[in-house]
Amino acid sequence: MMMIDRRHLSEIDWVLLGLVLLQSLIGAAFIYSSSHFLPGAYYVRQLVWIGVSIVALFLVLAVDYKFFVSLSAYFYGLVVALLALMLVFGRLVAGTKSWLTLGLMQFQPSEMAKIVMILVFARIFAEYKSPYLTTHHTLGALLIAGLPLLLIILQPDLGTAMTFVAIVGGSFILAGLKRKTIILLVAASLLLGIGGWKVGLKDYQKKRITVLINPSGDPRGSGYQVNQSKIAIGAGGLTGKGFTKGTQSQLRFLPARHTDFIFSVIGEETGFFGVLAVILLYFAMLARMFLAVPKARDRAGVYIVFTASLLIAFQFLTNVLMVVGLVPVVGITLPFLSYGGSSLLTSFIAVGLVLNVRMRRFANV
Amino acid sequence: MPQDRIYEDLSLLVRRARTVFWIVAGLSFLALAFYWKLQILDHRKYEQMAEANRSRMRVLAAPRGLIRDRDGGILADNVASFKISLLRENVKDEAESFPLVSRLLGIDEATLRTRLDLHRDLPLWEPLVIADGLGPNDIAPVESRRLEFPELVVEAEPRRIYPGGTLAGHVLGYLQEPTVEEIRARPERKLRPGEMVGKSGIERQYDDVLKGQDGAIYEIVDSRGRVIEEGGRVYPIQGNDLKLTLDRRLQAEAERALEGREGVIIALEPGTGNVLALASSPTFDPNKFITRFTPQEWLALQSDPLSPLENRSIRGLYAPGSIFKLVMGLGGLGFGFVNQTQTVYCSGATEIYGAVRHCWFAPGHGAMDLADAIRNSCNIYFYALGRRMSIDQIALAAGRLGLGRETGLDLPGEKEGLVPSVGWKKKALNAAWYPGETISVAIGQGQLQVTPMQVAALTARIARRGPGVRPRLVEDGRPPAIVADPPPAPGEPAPFSPATYEAVIAGMWKSVNDGGTGQGARVDGFDVCGKTGSTQTMSRESAERLARAGRVIKTHSWFSGFAPRVGPKIVVTVLVEYGGGGGAMAAPVAGRIFDLYKQELEPK
Repeated sequence: MMMIDRRHLSEIDWVLLGLVLLQSLIGAAFIYSSSHFLPGAYYVRQLVWIGVSIVALFLVLAVDYKFFVSLSAYFYGLVVALLALMLVFGRLVAGTKSWLTLGLMQFQPSEMAKIVMILVFARIFAEYKSPYLTTHHTLGALLIAGLPLLLIILQPDLGTAMTFVAIVGGSFILAGLKRKTIILLVAASLLLGIGGWKVGLKDYQKKRITVLINPSGDPRGSGYQVNQSKIAIGAGGLTGKGFTKGTQSQLRFLPARHTDFIFSVIGEETGFFGVLAVILLYFAMLARMFLAVPKARDRAGVYIVFTASLLIAFQFLTNVLMVVGLVPVVGITLPFLSYGGSSLLTSFIAVGLVLNVRMRRFANV
Repeated sequence: MPQDRIYEDLSLLVRRARTVFWIVAGLSFLALAFYWKLQILDHRKYEQMAEANRSRMRVLAAPRGLIRDRDGGILADNVASFKISLLRENVKDEAESFPLVSRLLGIDEATLRTRLDLHRDLPLWEPLVIADGLGPNDIAPVESRRLEFPELVVEAEPRRIYPGGTLAGHVLGYLQEPTVEEIRARPERKLRPGEMVGKSGIERQYDDVLKGQDGAIYEIVDSRGRVIEEGGRVYPIQGNDLKLTLDRRLQAEAERALEGREGVIIALEPGTGNVLALASSPTFDPNKFITRFTPQEWLALQSDPLSPLENRSIRGLYAPGSIFKLVMGLGGLGFGFVNQTQTVYCSGATEIYGAVRHCWFAPGHGAMDLADAIRNSCNIYFYALGRRMSIDQIALAAGRLGLGRETGLDLPGEKEGLVPSVGWKKKALNAAWYPGETISVAIGQGQLQVTPMQVAALTARIARRGPGVRPRLVEDGRPPAIVADPPPAPGEPAPFSPATYEAVIAGMWKSVNDGGTGQGARVDGFDVCGKTGSTQTMSRESAERLARAGRVIKTHSWFSGFAPRVGPKIVVTVLVEYGGGGGAMAAPVAGRIFDLYKQELEPK
């Protein structure tokens, strides 16, 4: 464990930090635009959470990532216990038991589980030096990821569960997948998928997948959301309807317009120019994150930077494609832009880990 | 590639990471391309869809649960009705539209504008209710001109009615539209503008139980507001029914007894705390103003100096008068300041702390023990007892018997009253306590304030021979909520024993059945025990001065009692404002309630 010193400070990627902050502020602005007429002052709460998240990010920076990695087993135990408790005592919010209420703040432990999984996998694969994954190792890693994943699916929070694909898949890709393993994984997931469809999936989730194949089949349910979102974005045109001028009539029944569908609001109000700007900025941010991969001083660092970056990239792509109907509506937020404290905090901590690894590249082991 | 790293070769990992990064880059580009198609190439198509096909969601208001009396009779019901809302986003030109709308609906245009101004902050697509409680005939002209008025929406909604009219009005309460401030202050309640929510009484207390889950119709309408297709609907779910503990016959009799007067009658079961009747007069008919608008009836009720909207049973603060002698008796006996056989001689007047104080019975009662002092409501006895006890011992007894705090009845807005003490006066008025004030408190005057519900709960406690029970209007299968006596602080005497209660009850029995002040409440074969009270509504000095001048001063009239003496089944508390002596006014009224209970309700 090593506290922050001046040498480290100069190694912080201030460009990346600036891009992250810029995204968050853009997000807060459009949260205002899409919810200022609702009671609850969502944008104020979001600004508060941005402040909290910045503090959390610097707290993460203060401690060498190796220390976090060495504690990952305890984090894992804690988060699994918390998830199990949530299932038993969780307050039902929006039909899922994923919210932990701490006084005025509500928090989703499943969001924290993502960070914990990044650290756990960094620890597992830090000692894994052979060029390709063995079946034995694959199954072990899947079991470790599977326990919290199962608890999250049971909540049911399909969106968060999906993001595990990025963490697990990313780690496997880094560790090296042989053709045999790929075939095995595909076969297993197909089997699980069909079995899950038969017994595991809730009706609303099945509906979301059938809707993807045939969107007009359910104009009112999840297909409706996507249709409204597409109309809003399409109607935005080149320059958009203007800030706060979006025809809320198109999006007003979207229950999640300031959370999962914030990008539709951006698309409608700022048009293609706005979409282009936000996607380019986002891509620049992702590039800065991935660029830190070769700078990591050790194997654990490489895994942390890569899976954290991939996690953000995965959520970004899924969300941006979801609001135009290219992937099913699974309830994945757009990191930094969507409303929501837990999502914001998790994303900031993920970036914090990337910055942490990058600035300690010369540290003595 | 050159590496900054000096420890191990990770180039294989870095290569793999780079491949993934390029995939991410490719997908981002793909996303951008798709947005290009959507926003540039297909822009016109979506623009038209946005213009032509507007989605609309109409709320299907859920009927509230019914409220029933203890026998299942309906006290609050729903009937079908219609409301008309204005969609401001469909108003092309206010100057042109508003006069036509106001003529069509027969609403004054100024009223219409005030109404819309009230909700100016709401988004334009939110329909604002401008007329409600309409029948089929009222909406026919609007329906037939639907195309001329795309800004008007007619919707059905269940409307609350109270078939009994004023019956139990204060208990049931009423509904009103939430104000803009209320909607903003409590976002978690998800109140909709125009929704009707419980504003008082049971309707408010149990709003969460009674209110159902609203449904919705989703429909696609064209730019003129015509429905092109219905996209589906979610049916509303009616709220849960609520069964009160009220008995319709007792309630009606209580309200009849109070007609034309201001006052309160409470009847409850001492065993369970179940309230059988709760009448507060004057009362109101909620049917007359269950609407989103403020009709004359409502304004009149609000400005009425007799405040008919106030539930006097839990919000009226009165001096308990001689009713308080029960507390004095229990405290004096329980704390050991007197015993049952000690007597005080009443000559009709006495001098205490340099002032002459009179008994209400000028010739004097003679030698009085505790039971006789309660029977005759002798002031002189309790002056002497008050002097012996001191104010803090009196306050301790009153606090133990539940005065000075809410009874916990399940209605909103209950007041807690006031039990004065040396500490209270120092804190509230920053003044020292005068011994003379103790003497006033000893006969239930001075700063002492109680609600009629507290008196009823106190009477129930005496009938039960302690501990108390929390009064309630909804039983719902729960056991009675016993208010356990708090363990006495070090140095304080033990809780009152059943024998102490028994001694006071002996006086209450005599008061009604042995020629005491409460004989008006006597019912043959029902063994009523009770206590009267007559509360001065002005200071003792001015009252005596006016009395000397020959003026008739009407006091507030109290009676509180229970029956039968052994195995008590019902407590009745009566307060009539300016009713005169408790024995003359309140006791016979209580007698009527006891009698009805014995004739019709008493479980044989």
